[in-house]
Amino acid sequence: MVKFGIEFVPKEAYWKTVYYAVQSEKRGFDNLWITDHYNNRNVYVTLAATAIYTKKIVFGPGVTNPFLVNPIMTTQSLASLDEMAPGRVVLGMGAGDVTTLASTGIEATKQLSAVVDAIAIFRAMLEGKSVTYEGNVFQVKGTRFNFKPRGQIPVYIGAQGPKMLETAGKIGDGVLINASHPKDIDYAVGQIKRGVEEAGKKMSDVDVTAYTSFSVDKKPDKAMGAASPVVAFIVAGSPNVILERHGIDLAKADKIRGALAKGDFGGAFGSVSPKMMEAFCIAGTPDMCNEKISRLLKAGITQFVVGSPVGPNVRKSIDLISEQVIPHFKE
Amino acid sequence: MSYKKIVEMIPVEKREDLSDKLLNYLLKTKNEKNMPSSMAKCFLSQWQTGSFEDETGLAVLLEATATVEPEKTIEFVEQELQLADVAKALKEAVV
Repeated sequence: MVKFGIEFVPKEAYWKTVYYAVQSEKRGFDNLWITDHYNNRNVYVTLAATAIYTKKIVFGPGVTNPFLVNPIMTTQSLASLDEMAPGRVVLGMGAGDVTTLASTGIEATKQLSAVVDAIAIFRAMLEGKSVTYEGNVFQVKGTRFNFKPRGQIPVYIGAQGPKMLETAGKIGDGVLINASHPKDIDYAVGQIKRGVEEAGKKMSDVDVTAYTSFSVDKKPDKAMGAASPVVAFIVAGSPNVILERHGIDLAKADKIRGALAKGDFGGAFGSVSPKMMEAFCIAGTPDMCNEKISRLLKAGITQFVVGSPVGPNVRKSIDLISEQVIPHFKE
Repeated sequence: MSYKKIVEMIPVEKREDLSDKLLNYLLKTKNEKNMPSSMAKCFLSQWQTGSFEDETGLAVLLEATATVEPEKTIEFVEQELQLADVAKALKEAVV
């Protein structure tokens, strides 16, 4: 049965994010993902508070990256969280957002190797033994914790490009696919399958997760209105190959990029077309969203993540999902 | 007057609307820094173990909202719910 996850960006005071986390648990979500960007509240502080106030929801960073946070520190953070919430912790690891990383002075090169190295170090250190590892990007020499981690923690890999998707299928326990459209999921699942086969695994060994931009409301225009700013940023950050896959006019995408770069948010958000909305978000009434989620399930996902913005009123949208979306797929 | 006593003054049929409105104020506030740390923990503990619609929960929510968004809270109680005596008690409590 499909799992439902939800993503929050810790851009507000911790107690608001934790309020929504507790609400999500009460309303039947299985997984909680907290984004990790240096310019928001710290992901592990938010997750530690979540661990205290929840009792069954599975949670983790969604996603962290090895460039800004060294894999040893990521392992330490997750192992510590796993003591607070045994068996409820997962790792979401990706290559990071190049633009955000650039603003920190970090050059994110050899992204695939960095993720592979980080996961190898993560898993080795969770064994609680001294670890020596010589990777392309990260090396550790006789590194070990002064405490015994509880054990292995599932690793989800944030992936979009073909190589990262294939690698995720090969070494990941799950894959977080930043996509909301069946075309992108179809493509991703194909790549993941290659990696799975190469590793001699089964597809059922991998939790194929659609990490969507989602917005639900009883009034479709309100749901769409909340999603269009997020879609503008997705369009601006998408490579042309993905825009072309959805038949999006590259000149229109450039216009949005230009407007965002100038800080003309009204111009950028106003330039989001229906085709862009269709390609990059799931937005509308519960029935409209259910139809689109069904298409993603047919494409092969096993976890559906309700990502930003969730809805025009996050609290009410979580209730709406609990009442009219999750039961549609779980009952 | 304690917030529990203030809640007792609110007619039962108006408590659900009040709880809903206060949660909107609190979760959309820009005055996050006005939320004392101890009150944030109390708010989350209440949410973890109960709701904000019974007397205990509504008292916790009312205190948090009156602390973070006093004008909006009092105005809603006075103008929308038409509870002048409750608004007066709130004004005294937030001073």
